[in-house]
Amino acid sequence: MSSTFPRSGAEIAAGLRRVLRTAASPGWPGRLLYALAGLPIGALSLALYFALFGSVVAVIYGIGLLLVLLVLATIRGFAGLERELARTLLGVDIAAGERIRSQRGLLGRVRRLVASAGTWRAVGWLGARVLLGAATLAVLFFGTVLCAGLTAGIDWNVLNALPLLALLTLVVLGALVLLDLVVRVATAVAPRLLGPGAEQQIAALQHSSRRLADRNRLARDLHDTIGHALTASLLQATAARRTLTPAAADRPVQPEFARQALQHIETNTRAALAELDRVLTVLRAEEDGRDPAPFAAPTLADLEDLLAGLRDGGLPVALVVDGATDDVPPAVQELAYRVVQEGTTNVLRHAGTPLTVAQVLRDGDVLAVRVTNERASQLDSRPGPGGGRGLAGLRERTAAAGGTLDAGPTPSGGFELLVVLPLAGAR
Amino acid sequence: MTLRLVLVDDDVLVRSGLRVILGSEPDLTVVGEAGTGREALEVAADTDPDVVLMDVRMPDMDGIAATAALVARDPQRPRVLVLTTFEDDDYLFRSLQAGASGFALKRSDPDELVDAIRIVARGSSLVLPDLTRRLIASHAPSRARGAAALPELTGREADVLRLVAGGLSNAEIAAELVLARETVKTHVSSVLLKLGARDRTQAVIAAYESGFMTA
Repeated sequence: MSSTFPRSGAEIAAGLRRVLRTAASPGWPGRLLYALAGLPIGALSLALYFALFGSVVAVIYGIGLLLVLLVLATIRGFAGLERELARTLLGVDIAAGERIRSQRGLLGRVRRLVASAGTWRAVGWLGARVLLGAATLAVLFFGTVLCAGLTAGIDWNVLNALPLLALLTLVVLGALVLLDLVVRVATAVAPRLLGPGAEQQIAALQHSSRRLADRNRLARDLHDTIGHALTASLLQATAARRTLTPAAADRPVQPEFARQALQHIETNTRAALAELDRVLTVLRAEEDGRDPAPFAAPTLADLEDLLAGLRDGGLPVALVVDGATDDVPPAVQELAYRVVQEGTTNVLRHAGTPLTVAQVLRDGDVLAVRVTNERASQLDSRPGPGGGRGLAGLRERTAAAGGTLDAGPTPSGGFELLVVLPLAGAR
Repeated sequence: MTLRLVLVDDDVLVRSGLRVILGSEPDLTVVGEAGTGREALEVAADTDPDVVLMDVRMPDMDGIAATAALVARDPQRPRVLVLTTFEDDDYLFRSLQAGASGFALKRSDPDELVDAIRIVARGSSLVLPDLTRRLIASHAPSRARGAAALPELTGREADVLRLVAGGLSNAEIAAELVLARETVKTHVSSVLLKLGARDRTQAVIAAYESGFMTA
């Protein structure tokens, strides 16, 4: 006993200190204001409850449906104001919930208004407001009554003034503690009832993780394309300089190598710039807050643009599309695009600029994509046995889509990449 | 003595550039090229090079797997110098773990690249000592659970290993411990022997993984 008493005394003192500190914190006028504003707002909330109840009753008579919607919309708007109030006075950061106005059409908005969990949580918040307002009222009322009771009919003199003042102070302090408690409850409850719901948080999370994945993909693309192209160009340039400035008499100047190196640098740099352009478009779109269109998966319709760029880069390449490709699922279209992209990039990388044909053939439930090139046009190149670095990734994606990938030299000395993708079962 | 090199990279442009750059050095000669990890194994078996310059990401067996296969075949020859486009920590550490003696950036100055090749062949220092030490220190401890303790080292050997792991070359260690360079060489050799490490890089990895060195 004797050991617990001082401790609880110390605890009480600590609690008092905490309350005083909170009350004296920079936010205290806001908190007090919030507590006092709880009175009229609580009354307003009660009125809105009655309005909701009344309009629901009116539905029974067939005239209140519009009224219910009106009240619900008012409650949502009211919740928006409350969010702002909590943000300003309490410093609680509450994210805005779903916007009904972003829905298309009046019917869609009405449906969302009624179905949205946010609406009903706002109704719940009104209930909390009513209770909190009542609590505030009770605290103020009983506090006043207590003070009045203590001082009524008292003959103030030197003997009783000190204890009486102490008692009054205690009552005021107690009231402040209770009001602080009310505000604390409001602070705890507000984000839950006024903030975005779980489903919206999940959606936001999905959105941000998708953005992250897109960014990672972008970084990988940068690494693979621009980083690689610049490295190759750098090495070619360094080598070319060395061939033009021989270190020893037995190493003659090799202008032919230098000329070829310059050509490679030209092609590589052009491709890298095109890639840079694409990446910057994506980043800029993201910065403007638009959903960046280039993140949308490329389709077969984008192939002509892709090949036009390569033609500018010096690769004579033709596109042949056979069969109806309109109803090919987007996932397959994207993969087909990647096949052509990878195939033609590899041609540039390993064979220079030979005549190249990209074919897309739709036959029933199968889409075949083929990239073939003639014999290599470069002296120092031969078709890579496994193709480029992207080929391994392409093989994985093809397998995941249930398709097959074959790559290898052709009898005429060129190279062929053939991917066959099933359409059934694809998304 | 001329160092015999094999270039492994899936990009012909990188290979042809490197061939010319390295070929212009009097003490280096490129004896073979490969475009995939698997090809690298064949070419290395045919040409018996001193150093293999290995790209990391390649189709048909990547550089890490190819390095491991080369080391498994013969721990002493050839040494592997990993060439990388970017400092991707994870890839680099894995290649060192697989047995590479060091790494260099493809974009590094030709002289630095040539130096790195010579260092790897001689084994008298780490390549890019600071970077390598930091890489091993930051990656090794997390994988060290259950790693075997180091075998018994003499006091001198422990000193030498500490300095090797600190990235110092033989000459620097000799100055630090006030020893003859030959003596340092002997100590390094016996440390490598006791650790079963093929070169300094592997010894540094062992030093960190065993907890002898801490990050």
